[in-house]
Amino acid sequence: MADDMKKPYEYPFEMPSEDAVAMKDGGVEDRPAGVPKSYARGESVSWTPESISEIHALSRLGRYQIRGFNSFNHRLPSFDDLTFVPATMTRLPLEGYRESCDTKTVLGGGSGLVENPLELDIPIYIASMSFGALSANAKAALGYGASKVGTLTCTGEGGMLEDERRASRTLVYQMTPSRYMLDLAHLRMADAIELVVGQGAKPGTGGLLLGMKVSERVAGMRSLPSGVDQRSTVRHPDFLGADDMQVKIEELREATDYKVPIFLKMGATRPRYDVAIAAKAGVDVVVVDGAEGGTGASPELLLNHTGIPTMTAIRAAREALDECGMSGKVSLVAAGGIRSGTDAAKCLALGADAVMVGTGSLIALGCNSPRYFDGYEALGTEPGRCHHCHTGLCPVGIATQEPELEERIDVPAAAERVARYLTAMTMEITLLAKACGKSSVHNLEVEDLRALSTEASAFTGVKLAGIDRPFSW
Amino acid sequence: MSEVIVTVKDRPIREVNREIKAALAEGNKVIVRDTRSRHNLGVGLPPGADIRFEGSVGYYCGGLNDGANIEVERNVGWSCGEAMASGEILVNGYAGMSLGASMRGGLIHVKGDAGPRCGVAMKGGDIVVEGKIGYMAGFMSHAGRIIALSGAGEACADSLWGGEVWVAGPIESLGVDSKVVEPSSQEIASVEKLLDELGLGDNSHQWQKIVSAQRLWHFESRDASAWLMI
Repeated sequence: MADDMKKPYEYPFEMPSEDAVAMKDGGVEDRPAGVPKSYARGESVSWTPESISEIHALSRLGRYQIRGFNSFNHRLPSFDDLTFVPATMTRLPLEGYRESCDTKTVLGGGSGLVENPLELDIPIYIASMSFGALSANAKAALGYGASKVGTLTCTGEGGMLEDERRASRTLVYQMTPSRYMLDLAHLRMADAIELVVGQGAKPGTGGLLLGMKVSERVAGMRSLPSGVDQRSTVRHPDFLGADDMQVKIEELREATDYKVPIFLKMGATRPRYDVAIAAKAGVDVVVVDGAEGGTGASPELLLNHTGIPTMTAIRAAREALDECGMSGKVSLVAAGGIRSGTDAAKCLALGADAVMVGTGSLIALGCNSPRYFDGYEALGTEPGRCHHCHTGLCPVGIATQEPELEERIDVPAAAERVARYLTAMTMEITLLAKACGKSSVHNLEVEDLRALSTEASAFTGVKLAGIDRPFSW
Repeated sequence: MSEVIVTVKDRPIREVNREIKAALAEGNKVIVRDTRSRHNLGVGLPPGADIRFEGSVGYYCGGLNDGANIEVERNVGWSCGEAMASGEILVNGYAGMSLGASMRGGLIHVKGDAGPRCGVAMKGGDIVVEGKIGYMAGFMSHAGRIIALSGAGEACADSLWGGEVWVAGPIESLGVDSKVVEPSSQEIASVEKLLDELGLGDNSHQWQKIVSAQRLWHFESRDASAWLMI
């Protein structure tokens, strides 16, 4: 460069003034023309306002940040990347407003080993959420709402709450690695047992319940000192790998006399292998919880940066079951970020036998509803944006153990809203199924879907819209 | 009470356990023979049951026990007495990994050594091991007592929430967030009373009582160093 400068080029005219070069004949004063944005707003790819404030937070706290709700990673694909292609000339639709479409869903009946498989009226149920993460009123309302529409709820990891057992016609008893309040009588009162090896919100890490929610009652059920920041174990205390788990499953069957199905819930990470191994270990139902799965509290980085999206996991899980001849023998449940019947229908078409909704059902209870504005304001948020489940200060009484907040749940009204939400979701599924010519929601198939993005097609193998071929390399 | 003999051999475990439960329901003492270290023997037994396994057993023997009195002639595999609520288990030989995992009550007495993580996630009750307890004994346990008469392996009492680990004899190392405290004379008397009932009373025990240091009970920036130890 320096060499180039040795022989300066001479213009055939006079050198312009600096003011003329700087466009002072009308340009913004004291600012180079052409790059005004860089002055007003930094546009760094790495040092965004969010990443800067993250560092300020870390450097103050000396630990990772913790919050509830679900992933804020906007790079995850959305169910909206898929669309249905209803029957037209090659297929015949059913009358959407007249003809019936079967929604009955059986879980755990495939092996023939279980005396009482679960028979649900709809292909949707309420996700496992603990008493502790949720208030007793919230648990009861979910139980009654689910019972009304003939589906189940799950205890979550805090042990079996009497309020929920009373409310839920069908109740799955969860066995997490922490084994809080694990009781043989409760095990035998349950309609199914769920072993948990992970969850979509934070696969590979145990549950988290901050001290504000570890009330006397919660602490009593978990045999913990009240007020501790409870971090649950992630490895089971009494088995390690899949071969041991197979023995464990036999133990649970012995303890419950082969009456109830055994579920296994996992966070979606390597579902192609994990689901095949779970099926081999002898469970009746595999629940695959995608990265969009919600939680009451988690290190934020795990919510945003671990696990794979629900839609991608379903295809891998279904192919795994097909490949090892276990489809039909082991039921597949999908969860994580399912908002509506439309999302649920897409999950069924991708290969799920049923879906589980957590956050959606809480929103039906009243989560993020525009009431108790002072409560949201105190948390520094507003209705529609609240994700402060971890604080235990839920303005609408759901994710709290404070009696005066919990009383804000009108249990009968909240139960009815849950029932209507599940009913509406089911109607959405049947509407789509009938448009696709299916007399059962379980007949929805991958062929009924098209992808609207190359990404969604590449992730799932669903054909791209129009060109009718899956994106491939 | 009469004695009923149940033979295991290579019969289906479901059939064996049904036979055991039927015999117990009729009020018999049950002797189980030819156990062949099979898994899941005597799971979820009822209060008042009296059963003895001859030979060794595999995983989960006495699992989910709710009041049965169980004796094993020789060794037990992993997770003997897991999630036990009440009752007693006597192991005359050695115990494998995760003895009494997440148990909530009752007593497990092992004459030999116990493997790693005995009393893991324990919520109550007592474990007495005449030999040595393996590494990470009492890992993340909440309540209850683990009593070892001949020392403990590495990371003893790791990450306790609550509960107590009592060790007579050498401890290879302490686990994170645990500390040795001086037991009170009443506490020693309570432990010795339990041992007395098992025929192990001996006032010469040099006890080290280990409890939670409670540094990991809370997320606190001022104690960030506590989080770096895990």
